[in-house]
Amino acid sequence: MVALARKTLIYEWRRFLPAMLAVGFAGLLQLLQIALVLGIFGSTSLYITGSSADIWIGYPGTQSVGSGRTIDADVESHVLMDPAVQRVEPYIWVDGDWRGPAETGGVSVFVSGIDPSADGLMFSKALPADLRARLAEPDAVVVDRSVLDQLGVSIGETATINGHQVRVVGISSGLRALGGVNVLCSLDTARRLDDDPADAGPTYLVAKLRDPGQADAVAARLRGDTAFGPYTTWSAKDFAKISVRYWLFDTGAGAGVLFLAGIVFLVGAVITSQTLIAAVNGSVREYATLNALGVGVGALRKVVLEQAFWVGALGLLGAGLLGLVLMLLARSQDVPVVLTVPAAVACILLVMGLAAVSGLAAMRALRRADPATLLR
Amino acid sequence: MPTATAAAQIHAPALLAEGISKAFMSGDQRTQVLDGLTLSLDAGELTLISGPSGCGKSTLLAILSGLQKVDSGRVQALGSELGQLDLRALERFRLQHTGFVFQGFNLFPALSAFEQVELPLNHMGLSRNEARRRAQQSLEEVGLAHRMRLRPSELSGGEKQRVAIARALAKEPELLFADEPTSALDAANGQMIIDILHRIARTHGTTVLCVSHDPRLVVHADRVLAMEDGRILSDRRPAAPAASDQEIPS
Repeated sequence: MVALARKTLIYEWRRFLPAMLAVGFAGLLQLLQIALVLGIFGSTSLYITGSSADIWIGYPGTQSVGSGRTIDADVESHVLMDPAVQRVEPYIWVDGDWRGPAETGGVSVFVSGIDPSADGLMFSKALPADLRARLAEPDAVVVDRSVLDQLGVSIGETATINGHQVRVVGISSGLRALGGVNVLCSLDTARRLDDDPADAGPTYLVAKLRDPGQADAVAARLRGDTAFGPYTTWSAKDFAKISVRYWLFDTGAGAGVLFLAGIVFLVGAVITSQTLIAAVNGSVREYATLNALGVGVGALRKVVLEQAFWVGALGLLGAGLLGLVLMLLARSQDVPVVLTVPAAVACILLVMGLAAVSGLAAMRALRRADPATLLR
Repeated sequence: MPTATAAAQIHAPALLAEGISKAFMSGDQRTQVLDGLTLSLDAGELTLISGPSGCGKSTLLAILSGLQKVDSGRVQALGSELGQLDLRALERFRLQHTGFVFQGFNLFPALSAFEQVELPLNHMGLSRNEARRRAQQSLEEVGLAHRMRLRPSELSGGEKQRVAIARALAKEPELLFADEPTSALDAANGQMIIDILHRIARTHGTTVLCVSHDPRLVVHADRVLAMEDGRILSDRRPAAPAASDQEIPS
């Protein structure tokens, strides 16, 4: 079989280049947008995904990690009584006002009070062991490398949170937060920094199970007991989802993503289809000759669709390579970018869908390939 | 039937048109292009239709080859009533039985001469080897064996038209239609093209119908039909020694 579509694409690549670029840039925009959104909004669930807890216990109706309320400290012993639970530890969230040594004004910080012991669950995946150990010192805090300028501080220096003095004992990475700055400290330090007298217990309790696969069942089992005041439970996976969803949809960011995806699709499809139509028009006499010789319109349409497919595939390849480079660059600059398999698949589907729609539009141009018009 | 020959009386004609009429509308203006034309063509002959431009010869070619429908009358090609075939069936008929050569060569810029010829064969259900064998043979027949790896941009006008002829010929069609095949070529190349077409009619028994206003072609045709205003004015056999000139009363 003579590969008409591919040979034409290679021989007349200049003609198809705008379509490939349009597809490529549409794919790249989409890819980076999704990666950024996932990266930025994924950081809202960092507290969950960066920790090794299987179950979270917090105030009922909590919409994101940052909007928790205190629960009764006695819930801890109740949770520990469940045979499936291996370890429970409190997690204290304090909204703080940071005053650094440099002239930065007040900075809104999210203080995370965690268990600094070596087998602590909170931030076990995000915080190196040596830094965690250093948090055991009174008033010690760890901050992310990317926020040092913002906080106007460097390692070893002191600052105040809510009027209490703290000292920066370590600098970590991958602890960026959305809408504020994460500050990690021990549970004791966090209690001192919390100046709200109404806050008696921890904001959350996090638990590790002997069998993480049981998370949903155990979470359901621990729920509904009101003897210790209001609280509820989530599996870590569910709570992360709730948290990200809150930021994506309740803040309107998700609608923005979908809107931009629509625009990208539309612009990409217009440019790509116009290029493909021009390519069909450029060969319309040859197509008409093939039809005169009896090659069916269906076979000619297949040629156009195949060209659209290759344009999509090549554009995607370019977008993938460039996207990879840009994402590595972003990572090196501490810009949060995350690409998951479903997100990558969504990108591929969008780009190939764009190419397919353009190919279908270009197929209409084949109507002009009427062999009778060659006899004039 | 005034043009019937002895051969045609024994065998059914390859192409038969009876009382065909065709008109085009442009705005309110109705132009009668063909007006009750009757014609029959025999296999193994090169028939030339000549006449001034606008006389309806290209329309006649389009109708006889199944590219256009008639307003009235009937066309029978190789025993099939073309008027009764739908679009799909017409495509199939053309695929199996007809070849075309156009004034513009209409070759794909990206394909080599060999691929241009092979491409339509791929759609005929031939095996890969058979398609290649036929493509090779046809290109040899038009004298392009040594040029078949070249793309159109590397070929001369005459060579391009020979590729186009090979593309039609490789299908081994019973009917071969050519529309002004020499008008874009110089004398020598035009001569070569008409020789090839003539040879195809002789050696393959193909019915070759050629439309041209090129007077150089007349001497090479087995039969010359002169057209004007949608009707055939004369029907001659220039090469035949005697009694072949025959005027059709209109």
